[in-house]
Amino acid sequence: MSDMAGDRARPQVCVEVLSRSFGGVAAVREVSFTVGAGEIHGLCGHNGAGKSTVVKMLSGQLAPDSGRIVIGGQPVVLGSRQAAQRLGVALVDQELSVVPELTVLDNLLLGGVSTPLLNRRRAAAARCRQVLGDMGLDRIRPQQPLAELSIGERQLVEVARALSQNARLVILDEPTATLSDVETEYVFAAIRRVAARGCSVIFVSHRLSEVLELCDTVTVLRDGRRIATTPASELTVSDLIVQMLGEAPHRLTAARAPDPQPGHSLRIEGLRVPGRLTDFSLTAQAGRVYALAGQLGSGASDVLRALAGLHPQATGRVRLRDRAVPFRNPVGAAAAGVAFVSSDRKSEGLFLDKPIAANFLATRLPGLGRAGLLSSRREHQAARSLAELVGIADHRLREPTAALSGGNQQRVFVGRSLGRDDVYALLLDEPTRGVDIGGRAAIHRLLRAAADAGLIVVFASTELEELLELGDVIITMRETRMVARYEGGADGAVLMRDMTQGERAA
Amino acid sequence: MIRRPAAPPETLVPGVALVVVLITFFCTPLMSGRALTAFDVYNTFQGLAQLGLLTLGLGLTMIAGEFDLSVAGTYVLGGMLAVRTGQSSAILGIVLAVGAGAAIGAVQGGIIARLRIPSLPVTLATYVALLGLTSAMSGGLSVTYTNTGATLWMDRHIAGIFSPPSLITLTGFVIAAAVFGGTRLGREIRAIGGDRRASRVAGVRVERGLVGLFTASGSLAALSGALFSYSYAAANPNPGLQPLILATVGCLVGGVSLVGGRGLPAGLLAGALSVALLGQVDAITAIPDYYTELLYAALLGVIVAVDAPGLRRGLDRLKARAATIRTPDRRP
Repeated sequence: MSDMAGDRARPQVCVEVLSRSFGGVAAVREVSFTVGAGEIHGLCGHNGAGKSTVVKMLSGQLAPDSGRIVIGGQPVVLGSRQAAQRLGVALVDQELSVVPELTVLDNLLLGGVSTPLLNRRRAAAARCRQVLGDMGLDRIRPQQPLAELSIGERQLVEVARALSQNARLVILDEPTATLSDVETEYVFAAIRRVAARGCSVIFVSHRLSEVLELCDTVTVLRDGRRIATTPASELTVSDLIVQMLGEAPHRLTAARAPDPQPGHSLRIEGLRVPGRLTDFSLTAQAGRVYALAGQLGSGASDVLRALAGLHPQATGRVRLRDRAVPFRNPVGAAAAGVAFVSSDRKSEGLFLDKPIAANFLATRLPGLGRAGLLSSRREHQAARSLAELVGIADHRLREPTAALSGGNQQRVFVGRSLGRDDVYALLLDEPTRGVDIGGRAAIHRLLRAAADAGLIVVFASTELEELLELGDVIITMRETRMVARYEGGADGAVLMRDMTQGERAA
Repeated sequence: MIRRPAAPPETLVPGVALVVVLITFFCTPLMSGRALTAFDVYNTFQGLAQLGLLTLGLGLTMIAGEFDLSVAGTYVLGGMLAVRTGQSSAILGIVLAVGAGAAIGAVQGGIIARLRIPSLPVTLATYVALLGLTSAMSGGLSVTYTNTGATLWMDRHIAGIFSPPSLITLTGFVIAAAVFGGTRLGREIRAIGGDRRASRVAGVRVERGLVGLFTASGSLAALSGALFSYSYAAANPNPGLQPLILATVGCLVGGVSLVGGRGLPAGLLAGALSVALLGQVDAITAIPDYYTELLYAALLGVIVAVDAPGLRRGLDRLKARAATIRTPDRRP
């Protein structure tokens, strides 16, 4: 133990006055910190703070403008991912970086510098089973196509790949953003094992309680600068938030009581998706926020996806404003007044290479013109008004959406479903995944305002804090079924019990 | 418990297509009135030799998410170079042709990988340029190959059904299958086609892989052209688009996806063999050419339909609608 403490005191990775700009705008300004051998070092900051830029420089994806990186006492030049890998830097990227067309085994072996030219399938498969077992993925076969796995399972495979590379430095950029709490625990146990072997770990996450639970030291960045590096044992979540934002965030009001004269409603009866969702029923009233609480695979996301027309094999009955919703067809569901914000904004949401304004307007073009001709004046007005609503600066409307940080992209994604006359039910799957605490509060305010304006808001989440903060009605789900329904009176322990081991509803 | 989806039907396409075409082939005596002979099988393998290596080269680039249109031009140039330089030594002609094909492929691969330009415009330009270059070399006319010893050697029968070109072609597929299945390169090629960004993050040398693939594609196309010209004792400066079309059909029948990430050399062999067999069915039954073209179109139509996600979703929707109708309405 004392040896390990000594190792942690000796820096294995030194980041020395690292700076990087993009088009004259500084993203990282003279950032310095060190990570000892066996140390788990948290890197926190709100969206746009410079975390991802630091990660990219450390993993060989981006060259610094100035400053240097020292690994194992030697200054190094990380000119490419391969160069970084050769120097012992493994990475779990912020974006899911596994290949669905390959098998699980092939993904674990992909790109590894120690992977031999000639395949040794049997030995590799045995090692793969062990690595998967460490991640709680015993049910997955090495030869299983990755495309058959859920997004969370794919993320675990990517984490397993990085942790199995015998690296000197493992960087995990938002590795738990798509994971349930149970899966997160497996990842943490695996990270601790790797650190115990003397590997340095940099852990980037917006989930601050996770950072404090896992990390030894936490460095906070704000506006590209290092604000503080503090032992995690001396920090609370509130301290971290203040360091990240420079101020304490505003909290939302508690759950709203039902309106004595409810407006329109969304009635779901016996909704079923083979293998994913069993007999889900709910009547949701306008003006309230309904939270579906469930781990991955619980069916919570599938309720929303089925309502949005993304499960063509779904059965049941759905009525919105007393009209049947053709819910096996996304176009039909949208025409009936259902708007859906997917948990995967990259492939099911935004047009990242298009301007921010185009993304805002993509869902409301018919209202912006006459006789099929768009009015640029109306387009401009609508884009500006939405940008103001979600807090994006006007002058950025022409920028490609990909230039925005993850949190701001999510604001655009949510914002484009708001302020529409033809939407009556807003469905959101993990509405604040990968969003920092400030961005999250902003999105929560938008959703509360949408409910106040008369929308039915239903969201699915795996994050207890979000469920308790935003949901007027919380419905817990587990193993494809509803477990319980709460209108106030629920706490985190109760929800967690329902989501992981609760009794099923009668 | 989440139900796992069944294996996608497109993975079965090459085998099913080959079986269907084989059945058609064995049924040809019903139409032609004569029994099949070893010579029919020999001719089928000769057909495979004509388009197999072209299919393999094109297919490899398609698996990596690219499309090498220039294979048709390299094929023509390879044939012409081999004939022009291999009159006294066939081997020398083949070596020069393959070298030129490799160089063309490497330059294209370098441009596509380093400048991150889509392969279609680059390879289209190369295709047109190579056709022009070949015509300039030959004055726009066919050039006769006078080394009859080499031509006779090319057409000799081995074990009754094979010829040297068909065995070289099969060897090419065996080597490709060994590389794909036995080394990390196969995994990396599919990864490059499946998700290029993820491959880079994982540490795959994407640029180097693309250059290697286009080099292989150019070499195989040139070798194919050289063997074909020697076998026919002439080099044609412009055989039209048929070699490219047949090779593309072979790739798609072979289970390669146009968006990349999917396909294997074994599937490409099945695809090329299916196309060669259909050509032989056409020859045996003496049906008009347009029937063959319709057959290729039908085959592609079936494959595209099997691969169409919209069709699968539509079927799922119909099934779910039928299930809903069977369930009684429980509303008061």
